[in-house]
Amino acid sequence: MEIPLAQELIFGLVIGSYIALGAIGFTLIYGLVNMINFAHGEFITIGAFVGFLAIAEGGLSLPVALLVVLVVTGVAGWAIARVTFEPMNDAGAVPLLLMSIGLGLVLRNGLRTVAGAERRHVPVPVETFRFDELGFFVTSQHLTIIGITLLAVLVLHLFLTRTMLGVAMRATADNEDLALVSGIDTRLIRNTVWVGASALAGIAGLMLAISQSANPNVGFGQLLLILTAAILGGAGSPYGAVAGAYLLGIGITVSVALLPSGLTALSSTMAFVVLIVVLLVRPGGLVNAEVRAS
Amino acid sequence: MTLLTIQNLRRSFGQLVAVDGVSFAVEPGELVGLIGPNGAGKTTVFNCISGTIPPAGGSVTFDGDDVTGAAPPALARRGLVRTFQQTRELSTMTVEDNMLLPWRDHPGERAVNALTRSSGVAESERAARERAQTLLEVFDLEDMVDEYASSLSGGQRKLLELARALMLDPKLLLLDEPFAGVNPTLTQRIAAHIKEFNDEGLTLLIIEHELETLTELVDRLVVLANGAVLATGTPNEILNNDRVIDAYLGR
Amino acid sequence: MSAIDDLPFDAVQAGVVLVIVALVYLFSPFYVSPAGFTFIFLEVGVLFLLYALILIGLNLQFGHTGLVNFGPVAFFAVGGYTAAMLTAVDPFKAVGLALPWPVGLVAAVLVAVALGALLGFSTLRLRDDFLAIVTLAVAEIIHGLIITFRDVTGGSVGLGNVPRPIAAPVGGGGGAELFATVLVLGALCVLAYGVFHRLSTAPYGRVLRAIRADEQVAATLGKRVFRYKLVVFVYGAAIAGLAGALLVFYNGAASAGFFTIDVTVIVWVGMLIGGAGNDRGVLAGLAIIMGFQLTTRFLNDVLPFITQDQFASVRLMLVGLLLMLIIKYRPEGLWGNARELGVES
Repeated sequence: MEIPLAQELIFGLVIGSYIALGAIGFTLIYGLVNMINFAHGEFITIGAFVGFLAIAEGGLSLPVALLVVLVVTGVAGWAIARVTFEPMNDAGAVPLLLMSIGLGLVLRNGLRTVAGAERRHVPVPVETFRFDELGFFVTSQHLTIIGITLLAVLVLHLFLTRTMLGVAMRATADNEDLALVSGIDTRLIRNTVWVGASALAGIAGLMLAISQSANPNVGFGQLLLILTAAILGGAGSPYGAVAGAYLLGIGITVSVALLPSGLTALSSTMAFVVLIVVLLVRPGGLVNAEVRAS
Repeated sequence: MTLLTIQNLRRSFGQLVAVDGVSFAVEPGELVGLIGPNGAGKTTVFNCISGTIPPAGGSVTFDGDDVTGAAPPALARRGLVRTFQQTRELSTMTVEDNMLLPWRDHPGERAVNALTRSSGVAESERAARERAQTLLEVFDLEDMVDEYASSLSGGQRKLLELARALMLDPKLLLLDEPFAGVNPTLTQRIAAHIKEFNDEGLTLLIIEHELETLTELVDRLVVLANGAVLATGTPNEILNNDRVIDAYLGR
Repeated sequence: MSAIDDLPFDAVQAGVVLVIVALVYLFSPFYVSPAGFTFIFLEVGVLFLLYALILIGLNLQFGHTGLVNFGPVAFFAVGGYTAAMLTAVDPFKAVGLALPWPVGLVAAVLVAVALGALLGFSTLRLRDDFLAIVTLAVAEIIHGLIITFRDVTGGSVGLGNVPRPIAAPVGGGGGAELFATVLVLGALCVLAYGVFHRLSTAPYGRVLRAIRADEQVAATLGKRVFRYKLVVFVYGAAIAGLAGALLVFYNGAASAGFFTIDVTVIVWVGMLIGGAGNDRGVLAGLAIIMGFQLTTRFLNDVLPFITQDQFASVRLMLVGLLLMLIIKYRPEGLWGNARELGVES
């Protein structure tokens, strides 16, 4: 007998995983570097192309490609941030935001100029596990992305709670001035955030390249969902962002199933509705972060 | 009738009880000082009165009306104005604009009048300029009229903060540590100005750590400790009050 | 630029006169038929004037009040599609109610205002950066909605058969229409500039700039900060909605391609190049960036081995780079006041 909505749940977890990987990084940057990084989608896209090159051109296996993407995107993101954002670290929220928009334009269109707009497929063997009696199926790709995301969250949690640097990060997120005064190396923290956030985004890009394709817009398309997940979860909280991402993913897939077929397009506007409702009712998101203007 | 009555004001921040049932009153024309050791709750009391944060309990009555939890703009329009301990000059605007901004009921601040350039706008602006000029002269700032507020020295910023608040022609002025970080000469000047305006009818409630200057200035002191009123009386009475001395020395 | 300030009349008065002149021209039997080679300039001119309307509103929002509105194109689109859907006559695979164009025009503004009010209420009490996120997100969502609901909006194909109110009265074919459109829009632009300029130079503008400088202080000094922010946000939404309606009435059609994030980028970069807060400067900045775009278009004709697509990407890259350089090295733009924007080093 079929489990109702089981397939939608699985799809939702998959979509949620992509969003979560991007949202964690985005939120860490927001909380620790104090900026909204509108170029975050581009780190995803970089990961997608690196993954494409690694697998389709380089013939690497998925696990190896994963590592390559992790390292390359992490370093690339850090380097880009070093050059563009770090020198203006204390310029204020709006200039940093504008800078990230400019950067996004440069990266997105730079990639499009060099690589062209066509979608590049990444051939990876896929196994499908069918559970027809229960009414759903799941592919190895699904399991991989969900598994990787859960692993990433676990690693993040261990890092934030068990390592000196992680604890220092949490302190800084709470109160940067106090952290500075107590001798915490905020530069090291920012550097770590850039590497980590970019690496996670890169992985999301790799998985998106496999399941969809590598194209210059793949990351920017995620940005809206990442933003919504981050706000839904609560500005600045990576755990909230993960929760928000899965809620959003499942919400989207379930609404597609429940809405009459003529209105399935509405699911893409779910993000809008979710965003506005959250902001009206509980702007601090799930974790109730402090977001009112002082 | 008292101008300001605080009844049983309460406010906590999580587990920390900052203000625990504070009650006192300020009569029209009085110059009252609010003192107490660090952490006694003085700034929180100010913030609750001025609408910066809402009190958790208790009431604030101003000029006969209950204004508990009212927002700052409403209070300012009723004549209750506060200054900030760290000067909040609008650094991207000139001294003149800083001074003209608070002018009450300026028709030019309404879109309709701004668009039609009605005569009331020019008149009001003229009146505002005159008053601003007068006040700036009192505070010796008239030469800085066209300078951006960011070019002022620390002392000048303190004076501007005060002058700007006075543009609102307030009934009650809450001063948050007006002498903090100010050299003795300037402190005397500011104190003299405060005395003058008080003589002309302005009621003042002042938070200060600088006890020497304050005690010579005020009619009455309210002492806070641990979020509650410890004692209230004339400066003489307070300075000889053992419990007050203990509270200060006990820190 | 100060010479213009010394004139005995201001832009509102000039604008009213120009609008009257334009209307007289429109309904008179005379028309000017410009030479073919000027068409490209006139077309860009029309676009410039429409973007200028958006920018005038955005400048009041950001340049004066400090509101970071990253989705002016959302109101542009909403206004355009409202006007199109209400006035189109039997469009192909889309909604068209064939109402008279003035209805479409008014409705466009009203719907844009409604959207602006909704967004304003939800976000203006929150931190500044949230407004940026929300406006950007809303713009993207609206673009997505337009494409998704293709049976209503015409999707990427577009919504045609929208009335063109200027074509009929002026007569004389395409070139004359183009010229007349530039005249009418130009007059409207001068008027709009005048209206918003009066706001910003009045004590009203002083309150806005105080809000940009320090909201809390403005509130402590008696100003109803939220109300001002909301109203300014709505004014900007209204004028962007109006521009959207004017665009579809000029084209006789609405299409998703007119309402992409590129519009937001051009208007923002123009504002920053010119100097946010300088009412005339931002328009000059817009002219500069659009001139740049026109020049690169000619360049593309000269260099045929690069595809149009690639050129578009390169152009956007350069615009992005320009934005980054401005923020880093000259945040006050060419004519902005660094001290007023708080960006002096």
